[in-house]
Amino acid sequence: MAQENVSMKENDMAQTGFEPRILGFFCHWCCYAAADSAGVSRYQYPPNVRVVRVMCTGRIDTRFILEAFKCGADGVFTGG
Amino acid sequence: MVEAGRSPNIEIITNARLEALEGKPGQFLAKVHQAPRFINEDLCTACGMCTMYCPRPVVDTYNERLDITRAPHIDYAQAIPSSYYIDAKACLRVNYDTCNLCAQTCTAGAIDFSQKPKKLELNVGAVVLAPGFGKVDDEVLEKFGYGKYPDVLTSFEFERLTCASGPTEGHIVRPSDNKPPKKIAFLQCIGSRDETCGNGYCSSVCCMYAIKEASVAKEHEPDLEISIFFMDVRTMGKGFDEARKRAQEKYGINVIRARVPRVDQVDGKLALTWTTPDGEHHSGIFDMVVLSVGLESPEDAEIISKVADIELNHYDFCKTSVDSPLATTRDGVLVAGAFQGPKDIPESVTQASGAAAIASELLSDARNTETITVTFPEENVELEREEPRIGVFVCHCGVNIAGVVDVKAVRDYAGTLPGVVLYEDTLYSCSQDALKSIAEKIKENRLNRVVISACSPRTHEPLFQETLRSIGLNPALVEMANIRDQCAWVHAQEPEAATEKAKDLVRMAVAKARLLEPLDQPTVDVTPSALVLGGGAAGMASALSIADQGFKVVLVEKSKELGGNLKRLTWTLDGQDARKVLKDMVKKIKAHKNIEVLTEAKLESISGYVGNFTSTISRKGKTDMVNHGVMIIATGGREYKPKGYAYGDSPRVLTQLELEEKLSKGKSFLKNARNVVMIQCVGSRGEDMSHCSRLCCTQAVKNALKLKEVKPDLNIFVFYRDMRTYGFYEDLYREARKKGIHFIRYTPEKRPEVIKQARGIKVRAFDPILGDDLEIPASLVVLSTGIAPGENEELSKVVKAPLTSDGFFLEAHAKLRPVEVAVDGVYLCGLAHGPKSLEESIAQAKAAAAKAAIPLAKGKVAVAPIVSRVNQDACIGCGICESLCPFNAIRLEKAGKRKKAQTITASCKGCGICASHCPTLAISMGGFTDEAIMAQIHAFSPEGCKEE
Amino acid sequence: MAKSGSILVLGGGVAGVQTALDLSELGYYVYLVEKNASIGGVMAKLDKTFPTNDCSL
Repeated sequence: MAQENVSMKENDMAQTGFEPRILGFFCHWCCYAAADSAGVSRYQYPPNVRVVRVMCTGRIDTRFILEAFKCGADGVFTGG
Repeated sequence: MVEAGRSPNIEIITNARLEALEGKPGQFLAKVHQAPRFINEDLCTACGMCTMYCPRPVVDTYNERLDITRAPHIDYAQAIPSSYYIDAKACLRVNYDTCNLCAQTCTAGAIDFSQKPKKLELNVGAVVLAPGFGKVDDEVLEKFGYGKYPDVLTSFEFERLTCASGPTEGHIVRPSDNKPPKKIAFLQCIGSRDETCGNGYCSSVCCMYAIKEASVAKEHEPDLEISIFFMDVRTMGKGFDEARKRAQEKYGINVIRARVPRVDQVDGKLALTWTTPDGEHHSGIFDMVVLSVGLESPEDAEIISKVADIELNHYDFCKTSVDSPLATTRDGVLVAGAFQGPKDIPESVTQASGAAAIASELLSDARNTETITVTFPEENVELEREEPRIGVFVCHCGVNIAGVVDVKAVRDYAGTLPGVVLYEDTLYSCSQDALKSIAEKIKENRLNRVVISACSPRTHEPLFQETLRSIGLNPALVEMANIRDQCAWVHAQEPEAATEKAKDLVRMAVAKARLLEPLDQPTVDVTPSALVLGGGAAGMASALSIADQGFKVVLVEKSKELGGNLKRLTWTLDGQDARKVLKDMVKKIKAHKNIEVLTEAKLESISGYVGNFTSTISRKGKTDMVNHGVMIIATGGREYKPKGYAYGDSPRVLTQLELEEKLSKGKSFLKNARNVVMIQCVGSRGEDMSHCSRLCCTQAVKNALKLKEVKPDLNIFVFYRDMRTYGFYEDLYREARKKGIHFIRYTPEKRPEVIKQARGIKVRAFDPILGDDLEIPASLVVLSTGIAPGENEELSKVVKAPLTSDGFFLEAHAKLRPVEVAVDGVYLCGLAHGPKSLEESIAQAKAAAAKAAIPLAKGKVAVAPIVSRVNQDACIGCGICESLCPFNAIRLEKAGKRKKAQTITASCKGCGICASHCPTLAISMGGFTDEAIMAQIHAFSPEGCKEE
Repeated sequence: MAKSGSILVLGGGVAGVQTALDLSELGYYVYLVEKNASIGGVMAKLDKTFPTNDCSL
């Protein structure tokens, strides 16, 4: 399961050179592990995500997501 | 594997061989010769400078000789010990006393040419031989053009080609021209099932690994055309047949039933000719040929046999017997893995645990006499209570991080963050000397929170937690920022953006670190006894092992007497008297002071968690409560009852087990018999049950040979789909063919029919060689009926352990945890896990006994401190948490007048679902409190963001 | 003379390592004797494993 809620449309980004700041909540057992193995395999992806590790996506309280937007996140990524 | 490198009680001795084994069980003296590495393991930081500067190229054996490295090197990045070594054969300094370049470039001063070979004398109570397997001789491969034509590869070489960390970074190319191939052929049974090279046995693993490699190749290059040439498709492992079917359907891999005799080269391509079972000749051109090479006995098998004084079998594998598959011919010397016979990973891992159990039975008096317990100084609680004094260590990881991220800039930025009193950079924070220096700096600066900005906490957090413990700080007070795996490595082309990201990650980690709290390291006492469900071969073997290891066992059997399916067996596959095996086991069980047997008993319910289970057992109308620390499921399986084939309509139609029972009573029933027909896969492999029952092929061959023995003029016909007489059982199959038993292949579309006539019965089947139907008047029809799951569904609900789609219990991990189920403290063996032979059941039973004995031997189970905690004042007892917890680890309990939630720490996995749903925020997660996560979110904004 | 509480495991492949781990957990000291310079054996060379195609490390 991976959901992404980015508030800007893709073509807007291309036109304005907009670089979204995305906050990710990654499950320790799957998404965080997958992000590590992406590194081990040297996959390259854009440097727009900052990661908060949680032990399970079930830990994510709606308040966390709202707070992230309040703190200037353009998108929130939950990966589990 | 990493765990083995970290355990204080495993001493890894590399570059070493066993030279002598003197003494007796319990008191062996082992003499070991160790060659020097010429690089000091403790000093080496694995930076790789020595490899870079060495002028001496050597072929990279780790990459199957497809690549080149230098004399000083490490086999692969994650190798353990994580230290480089010098290939003494190639090194100029070692051989000619010149060069010495590596020693000059090594900044750690780890290279030491003064190292000499060491002779070690070790006092040990038991020995486990696990030398693995050897390689098939190149001579055998040369028949198939290997060495002559560059595009003929072995399957091991092909494996490295498909691997992302291999020599071609996962691109499949022809070695001759570096171009991607379009058509690949896999040839099976290279160096297996081939008496001309001395390997009459089946290697058991090649069919499935060829399908795996073909699937991986198709995933990389979907346009590839892949053909695999099989004699029989032997995917008899648990879940393998299903995976094979999926792969064939998904990737469109061609399965051709033929043995290709040779490979020729024509215009730079490879030409094959083959004959299919219908007698037709074919030929084809391929770009690449992969030889599925078998598993040979280890090269040093004879030396090991001599040194350890054990016998080998006729194929130079270790000699064992069906009733004690892990014992060698010398007492106290055990065997596990491919040296015991060709086998796959799950079985090797199972045997490994099984061998551990037997060693533990032998040495139970000496348990804990030589182990090292690591002790830690008392926690400095006062320092922990002070205002946060944070130290930030930013790791270069050689060039891994520093090659992309501006480490010094990140370090200086960390210094500007609130609470940080020390900020430094380190070359390799995980190296032994760096850990020591970090520990000293923490003490000097009276730090009480630490941020390590380096790699992933998944792999390295335990290491830094241990460092904190070693100087009297709570291990929960360290936080890691992952600026390697999730930053430097994945943004290699964008150094500036990567540096900015690293700063953000450090800022967020520091924000969380400020709010880290010391956490208790809870442990729970263990009830030192086991409950074993099932009194068949597997249940009895595991009960005996646990009892011999010194713990109490309650053995629960549903019928009136012990034995299970073993009661119906007359001969084991290696020709032993199965009834004697049974009698011996039952005798030992009854005489054992640690074992209590409950017959006609059934498990009604179980509660609790690993270390402290309470079970209700019903027996003859009464119920008993049993407290136990662990449980083993060994409830067995049952013979599949055939539908159709005139079974039940004619007394001439029997199952294999029924035939065995008749045979054991004498041969008079064969007096007028002329033709016996056996039909394989009755019920199995898609007829009724989807799985392969694994042992019916060998069972049929065994009984066919028995029939031939008592009545040599019998005509025996075996109708089969694939003869799966894997491993050394292939010998029986070959013998059967030599004795004139007819084997005729059928396809599921054209199954043999059993037709009842006015007098007697006949079998009608399609013969692919004749291309026409055959009719055989049969004196006897024997159905190879396979193994159906027992009453697993009901038990699965009681224990909350999941089943596979075939109705057998599902193991926690097919390879790494093959005898554990998803519920901690519950283990699995025998037919309850899936179809297998007696030999395999016993090995698995021992393995389950080893795993089950671990918590019993420890006496305590440690609980991860990341569990949930309920603030009793804030809890309103709504029960939402209890209804959501996937592990039944939180429940409402009476506290005064109301009910309040309480965590069962031993069952809690720390997922936090309860915390995120608690309406009064009464639940807090160890290490992941609301406050700490919120602080991280606020620190996500570079300008800071405060809660209003 | 009392029995020794140590065990020698010959071979650092998947079987040897698993035996060593289990024995150390059961309360015994283990000498893991490997002929090469690192443990892991053949399994460390496999890219994916059957039937689930998991990573082998």
